[in-house]
Amino acid sequence: MIPGWMKQTEQYAPPKDGGAFALRTLRSLGGVLARLRVQRGRDGLNIPPVLKLLLLLAGIVTLSLARNRLLLLGIAALVLGWVCMLPPRTVLNVLRPALGAAILALALFLPAMLLRPAGAGNNLILVGKVFLSVAMVSLFHQRTQWNRITGALRTLHIPGVFVFLLDLTLKYIVLLGGLIVDLLTARSLRAVGRDRHKYRSVGGVMGLTFLRASELSRETWEAMSCRGFTDDYKGL
Amino acid sequence: MHIPENYLSPVSCAVMGAAMIPVWVHAVKKTNRELPKEKLPLLGAGAAFSFLAMMFNVPLVGGTTGHAVGGTLIALLFGPNAACIAVSVALLLQALIFGDGGVLAFGANCFNMAFVLPFVGYGVYKLILGKQDTISPQKSGARPYVAAFIGSYIGLNVAALCCAVEFGIQPMLFRDAAGNALYCPYDLSVSIPAMMIPHLAVAGFVEAVFTVAVFALVRKTAPDLSYERMRTDAPETGKKKRYIPVFALIAVLIAVCPLGLLATGTAWGEWGADEIAEIVTDGKALGYTPSGLESGWSMDVPMPDYAMEGMNETLAYILSAVIGVALLIIIFKLISIPMKGRRNPS
Repeated sequence: MIPGWMKQTEQYAPPKDGGAFALRTLRSLGGVLARLRVQRGRDGLNIPPVLKLLLLLAGIVTLSLARNRLLLLGIAALVLGWVCMLPPRTVLNVLRPALGAAILALALFLPAMLLRPAGAGNNLILVGKVFLSVAMVSLFHQRTQWNRITGALRTLHIPGVFVFLLDLTLKYIVLLGGLIVDLLTARSLRAVGRDRHKYRSVGGVMGLTFLRASELSRETWEAMSCRGFTDDYKGL
Repeated sequence: MHIPENYLSPVSCAVMGAAMIPVWVHAVKKTNRELPKEKLPLLGAGAAFSFLAMMFNVPLVGGTTGHAVGGTLIALLFGPNAACIAVSVALLLQALIFGDGGVLAFGANCFNMAFVLPFVGYGVYKLILGKQDTISPQKSGARPYVAAFIGSYIGLNVAALCCAVEFGIQPMLFRDAAGNALYCPYDLSVSIPAMMIPHLAVAGFVEAVFTVAVFALVRKTAPDLSYERMRTDAPETGKKKRYIPVFALIAVLIAVCPLGLLATGTAWGEWGADEIAEIVTDGKALGYTPSGLESGWSMDVPMPDYAMEGMNETLAYILSAVIGVALLIIIFKLISIPMKGRRNPS
């Protein structure tokens, strides 16, 4: 025996829900953080990460100090020559942030260049320097796995506690970013239609994240104590 | 053969640019259909060859210089449509960064070197080969090389002829009240011999030798890289793909490209506004600077003539070559990302 209300066709379409700005921001932030987990960076040439790190530092310092245009040209040739050997996707990933930074720098310099056209050449060189620096960092980031980077820092005799903190922070960022995304997804799945109390969830999400973080840190502490951690950290 | 800024009237530039638009559209469509996605970065290497070939200036008879273009070579490897795109991009880079060839004259330069040259070169090559099977190097013998030699020689010279005609019609069409030419001052009777004699005598052979040499190397080391094979859906050779020799050759060309600096003269029709008045033709100097050249629009490029002020010329030339080649390969790699890949034969 089917009750009468079950036989009726329902015409319910959930009313459009604007979505609170804070929630959307949180969600996209969490998404970005969780994406860090994707271990990018395949070491193509098998250069030791320490060497790459030193090369990067030397490159950036030289680039910032260089006044000789030939030197700048040389660095540009080196960076572009390196980039052009990468697979197409990686080329895009390397160049996108560099181009973004260069365009931002150009926009910042534009008023100065328009007001004083005589100095435009120097300003453009600065834009070029910004492009090359960001391209170098992004090249390093794309081609080196994160744990190798912290390993390289350890080889450079950066105190273990810093490297340890760095590693731990990154792990937590990824874990907590994932947690935020999960929480907000669960909330949006349950809240059909118009939800008038969105901002209550913001506090809830942040509070839960905080609780989870303290729980995680306690667990880590216990795990470290159980394994007899002696303050000597060699990297992951 | 690069037409600089202001040698052609803005009207001629607009006409040539408009003529190139349908060519580009057709070339892009055709290439998108014919060229497999993974070959596109290699087309960047082809464009790099062309870019490098244009940096090797050779001294020609009569104190001018010239260079190979390599358009026929790219047409043999990737097809004339792909060659059109590759040479166009190389020319764009030269115009915008290195000041070789004008930005306004870009359409005209593309018409000569990116459209006429590869299509004529490839057409002649096909005409000579006829229906012969060229896919297996064993069967075809030396004939493809002869065809490539003649094709590239004719292709370059037809392109030079087009360039000469574009120069030559300027004084007939555009003169000021005093009868002085506004733009290029030489008419057809001067420009055609001045362009054609050096190109027929020397530059054509340089282009032909360059084409055949690289073509032979590619056929031996990377036989998959051939337009015939691509078009007829011939099966892959099964050999492991080895493009290393191709890139090694690019590296060698970059290293020796300062040889192009040995040719000190300015190419015919590429003088700056400051030198044109002293150019001597038939025993008398021109004596005036065409007003369109003097007051015309020009763009400040980052590295005019592949160098910057106060730099070691040789080093700057090599670095320019590296940057140019890297940029070309990067550009074509980026283009290949949104490309759909080739049609299915079935």
